[in-house]
Amino acid sequence: MKNTKKISVLVTILFLCVFLGGPVFAAKKPVVVYTSLETEETVEYLKLAEKELPDLDIKIIRLSTGELGARMLAERNNPQADLVWGWAVTNMEDFRDRGLLEKYKPKGWANIPDKFKDPNGYWAAIDLYMAAFVLNTEVMAKGNLPKPKGWNDLLNPVYEGKLIMPNPASSGTGFLQVASLLEMLDPDYAKKPVKKNTGWEFLEKLDKNMGQYIKSGSKPAKLTAAGEYAIGCSFAFVYSSLKKRGSPVEMVLPEEGAGYELEANALLKGAKHKREAKKFLDWAIGESAMREYAKFKLGVTLPGIPGPADLPQLETIKLAPMDFPWQATNRGEILVVWQDKFLR
Amino acid sequence: MNTSGKEAYGVSATSLLVDKYILTGVTILVAFLLVFFMLFPIYKILVLSFFKEGVLTSENFSLGNYIRYFGTPRIARSLYNSFYVSVVTMAVTTILAFFFAYALTRTTIRGKGFFNTVAFMPLIAPSIIQALALILLFGRNGLITAHLFKVDWSIYGAWGIVISEVLYCFPHALVILYTTLSAVDTRLDEAAESLGASALQVFWRVTVPSAKYGLLSAGALTFNLTITDFGNPVVIGGDYNVLATEIYAQVTNLYRFDLGATVSVILLVPSVAAFMVNYYVTRKSFALISGAARPFIRPSRPFRKWGFTIYCSLVSASIIMVFATVVMGSFVNVWPYDWSLTLKHYRFPSLGGYSAIWTSFWISLFVGFLGAFFTLIAGYIVEKKKPFGVQILYLLSVMPAAIPGLVLGLGYILAFNRPYFFFYGTPWIIVICVVIANFTLGTLSSISNIKNIDPSIEEAATSLGATSISTFVRLVFPLSRVAFFQNFVYFFMRCMTTISAVIFLVSATVHLAAIEIIWLDNDGWTASADAMSTCVIAIVLLMLGLLRLVMGKGSSHVMGGAGG
Repeated sequence: MKNTKKISVLVTILFLCVFLGGPVFAAKKPVVVYTSLETEETVEYLKLAEKELPDLDIKIIRLSTGELGARMLAERNNPQADLVWGWAVTNMEDFRDRGLLEKYKPKGWANIPDKFKDPNGYWAAIDLYMAAFVLNTEVMAKGNLPKPKGWNDLLNPVYEGKLIMPNPASSGTGFLQVASLLEMLDPDYAKKPVKKNTGWEFLEKLDKNMGQYIKSGSKPAKLTAAGEYAIGCSFAFVYSSLKKRGSPVEMVLPEEGAGYELEANALLKGAKHKREAKKFLDWAIGESAMREYAKFKLGVTLPGIPGPADLPQLETIKLAPMDFPWQATNRGEILVVWQDKFLR
Repeated sequence: MNTSGKEAYGVSATSLLVDKYILTGVTILVAFLLVFFMLFPIYKILVLSFFKEGVLTSENFSLGNYIRYFGTPRIARSLYNSFYVSVVTMAVTTILAFFFAYALTRTTIRGKGFFNTVAFMPLIAPSIIQALALILLFGRNGLITAHLFKVDWSIYGAWGIVISEVLYCFPHALVILYTTLSAVDTRLDEAAESLGASALQVFWRVTVPSAKYGLLSAGALTFNLTITDFGNPVVIGGDYNVLATEIYAQVTNLYRFDLGATVSVILLVPSVAAFMVNYYVTRKSFALISGAARPFIRPSRPFRKWGFTIYCSLVSASIIMVFATVVMGSFVNVWPYDWSLTLKHYRFPSLGGYSAIWTSFWISLFVGFLGAFFTLIAGYIVEKKKPFGVQILYLLSVMPAAIPGLVLGLGYILAFNRPYFFFYGTPWIIVICVVIANFTLGTLSSISNIKNIDPSIEEAATSLGATSISTFVRLVFPLSRVAFFQNFVYFFMRCMTTISAVIFLVSATVHLAAIEIIWLDNDGWTASADAMSTCVIAIVLLMLGLLRLVMGKGSSHVMGGAGG
């Protein structure tokens, strides 16, 4: 029975493997972090975090703004994560009101200007990221397309099918673009129902030129860089990373005012590793972390740290007036109206 | 054989009694596990879709979610879209696979072994590699569309979904049709021919009708696989919304778990229907298959031979093209501009990276073992022991095929996310989910294998005083070890490559390779998504190779068996 012997050896080996593989299943005492920061930057920040917080075993998952929110809601009876790091303030406000966050003012709280933190101590913002158009210069030249200065120029029929923008339902970037337009184009936005906002007329015209609404906020820029589209409505830092890699891209910040979003950190209610989580949150608004963020982001919330050299400095940019509490209250409604109008 | 009434052979009454209790206990345990990990989550989904906040009281009952679903044209269209792509895929795949199976069973073309191997390749890869490859070739900036023909056409949307699903479902349909065509008696064809029927007449009047159950079954399976698939539509669907992607969108974008549950129920209806067709038809078709030895196939005429050779080569070429494109895409610098080779895409720009592949590997080993073990037990009880209520156990064991993976995953979140379910948030929940999701095929293949064990051997063992357990350990297990390892590989493969069942279950502590592929692609790192797919394929191939080495030549159909 040579075969039987072989098989028993195989079974033994496999069982041994399974037991030696036990560490995968071992229960450690980690700090569990949820984030919506871009993977590319997160990898760099984590290198620093692991160096400066050597006693923490940082378990982390990166999901889009919406996916992360759904997860936290689903897990509210049995929270799996300890903290959320770099998540859109619009959603933060919503989740504070739903009672998923816990008050914690990390060390260094006083250094963050008031406009960048929750007055009651539920969240503190770390950075600001900004909507921007990314142009593929080769595609633009080949199609003899004029360079747009802002949103209004994108209505020009020459761009038909050559634009791409994120789906605001799944992408935080897409949401801030739509929200900034609704707020800029209708001075009375706060007084009327979302459905009646005059900004929708503009979005309907823009829809005629739009080649695709895509699920992620960075993908419009990446697909544009790959030559699939001429102009991608995306955000600023993905442009600089594409530029560094040698893609033929150029960035335009809309002249009407650039929509932006704050990304913030918060402790989650029911955190199982509260002590470790607080330690991480302290680090995450500290100066060394902020300096690392500033290598990618247009602006960080700790004053006195300049942004990346290859992007325009924050003071020179015209910002859209972003009303985060209004956005938080009306996010669901905005998305439903948007989906009913624009998804096929 | 039942164990009662064996006192005459001198087996002690107590040991028989103990044996009976053990058998009952194991039966109840398996049934309980299936109810708890399959029906309970589905029940949670049903309740959430029909009752406000998922609280089961009469005043909470509401059809509001369903009214909202059917009252919103955009969302309701996802149902039509799902049916459209599934029906088209079903038709195309069944026809393609039928002629392929015909060529392999009824003609004397050369290279059957090669064609057979190639046809089963899609089983070893993550289901989305078809979509990844098609985008590289026919995307807006695809090699063939934009650079060879310089057309402004792209594959995103319904057509992209259909083509990738056809490539993905092909081996599944082929297994069924191959079995059907090789089992049906070809002497009927010969008889018709000698009575003066033309070749076409024989084909339409004899061959096709005799394979009708196989055709129905293959069609139902393909329909089910397509309508429940999540990976391909999410990668290549573009704006084209199907039910599976709509569930994901409702939950993750709008936080509407209740609407996600509602769409899940709507998706369950056609997939359960397709499953029932398949279930009914399979039972019928077994009756048609005679145990007669395979008759001799007459040498085919040159025209026929060449025609089928060309046909099989074309189909095989498409499948090979998918794999070649993805592997190439992972090694070239910038597809399709800079063809210099590089390894840089293998430095994964993700948080999971290689540790995700590693985790996937370990979890798949566990899934392989537990899946093979439990399906063997289920098969043994159903086929040999037939205790009271065996039909219930059988139905529970084959039911998972009717439940879309995404729905099962969503059900797991709803049902098990409680502090007292210690396994939530650990790798175990993924292990359990994947084992359950693939229980059907495992059980069916165990049953058909155990059928082949001569009952008289077992009777002899029993009369010599062996209990059920010792019979199982010392007789059934060794005799069905080939089935055990086939199932091991099947579960291992499924776990390495599945997406829909686990996308809601991966966590900060457990990253899986197949999900990383989706995320890499979603972030625009297509080449790294190709690289990760290549790693997964390599691991599955290594496992297959290892097993074949150990099991020897006798099990050279590990892949085919696993697919069946």
